[in-house]
Amino acid sequence: MYQTSPMGKGVTVSRKIMTVDDSPSMRMLLRVALTDLGYEVVEAEDGVQALERFPDEEPDLLITDINMPRLDGFGLIEAVRGDDGNRNLPILVLTTESSDEKKARARAAGATGWIVKPFHPEKLAAAIRRVLH
Amino acid sequence: MTDTETPFRRISVIQGETRVSDDPQVVMSTILGSCIAACLYDPDVKAGGLNHFLLAEPGQGDTDPRSMQRYGVYAMEVLINAILAKGASRHRLRARIYGGAAMHDGFRDIGGDNAAFARQFLRDERIALVGEDVGGRSARRVEFRAALGLARCRIVTDTMTPIPKPVRRPAPAPIGDVEFF
Repeated sequence: MYQTSPMGKGVTVSRKIMTVDDSPSMRMLLRVALTDLGYEVVEAEDGVQALERFPDEEPDLLITDINMPRLDGFGLIEAVRGDDGNRNLPILVLTTESSDEKKARARAAGATGWIVKPFHPEKLAAAIRRVLH
Repeated sequence: MTDTETPFRRISVIQGETRVSDDPQVVMSTILGSCIAACLYDPDVKAGGLNHFLLAEPGQGDTDPRSMQRYGVYAMEVLINAILAKGASRHRLRARIYGGAAMHDGFRDIGGDNAAFARQFLRDERIALVGEDVGGRSARRVEFRAALGLARCRIVTDTMTPIPKPVRRPAPAPIGDVEFF
C-alpha cells in the first residue's frame, strides 16, 4: 500500500518491509504478497543478516520468522529493540509456532504481533495496515 | 542388539501429520495416493522425519496456485523445523519424496502438481533430493526409519489395502491468525 503524504496531492511514498526467514520459498511467497500490496520489500535469511542490513535499509516494518540459524527471531527482536531509535518500529512474528510460551517470549522481547503460518494474504494485509497506517 | 531382538515401534502418519525421530527402532509408515510424503534425514545427527501432505483436493475448489504453495511450504517448514530441533542442520538434509499418483479420472493431475511442488521446493531450499518414487496411478505404502534414513516404498494393490481417498486436510490451526500484543 502506498502512503499518501501529509500534504495529500497524490504524492505517494512506498513503505519498506524487511522480511527475515531462512526459507527461500517463504521469502519468495512473502515478497510476492507484499509487492502485490505495493510495499517495498528487503529480505534477510537470518537474524544476523537482518541486523547487518538494518542500518542501511531502515525498514518501516519488520516481519520475522522465529526458528532460524545463527540468530533466531527472539534474538533479532531483542537486538532491534536494544536500539532506542527502533522503539516504535512495528515487529510482526510470522512462524509455524503457536505455543503460548513462545508468544510470551516474543512479547517480552518486544514483538508487536504474532501471525501463524501459513499466512492468509488478507489477514496479513490487515495486520500490516493496522501497525503501519 | 539387533533389529530382530528389539521390536520396532511403528508409527502411522496420516494426512496432515508430521513425525520426527532419532530412535532407530521407530518405523514411520504412511499410505499415499495423490498425496506426497517427504522423508528428510540428517546423517550426522541420525535424525529424520516424514510428513504427509496434499496441496489440493479434487472437487474442493482450493486450487489457487498461491494458496497451494503457501500450504505446501508450511507443511515442509513444519517438518524441517522439527528435525532442526533434533540438532540437524538444514544444509545436511537429504530428501526422498513419494506419492503424487493420479488417482482420480476426470480431475486434473493433482498428484502431479503435488510432486512438482515438492521437487521445486527442495530445489529452492537447496535440499538434496536423493530419491523419489512419484506419479503413476497406484497407491503406495512408505516405511521410513528416520534415524537411519532408510526408506522403503511399495505399490499397494486393491487386495492388500484400501486405496486411500483424499480427505479434507486438517487445518493447521489456526491458519494465518493474527494476535497483537
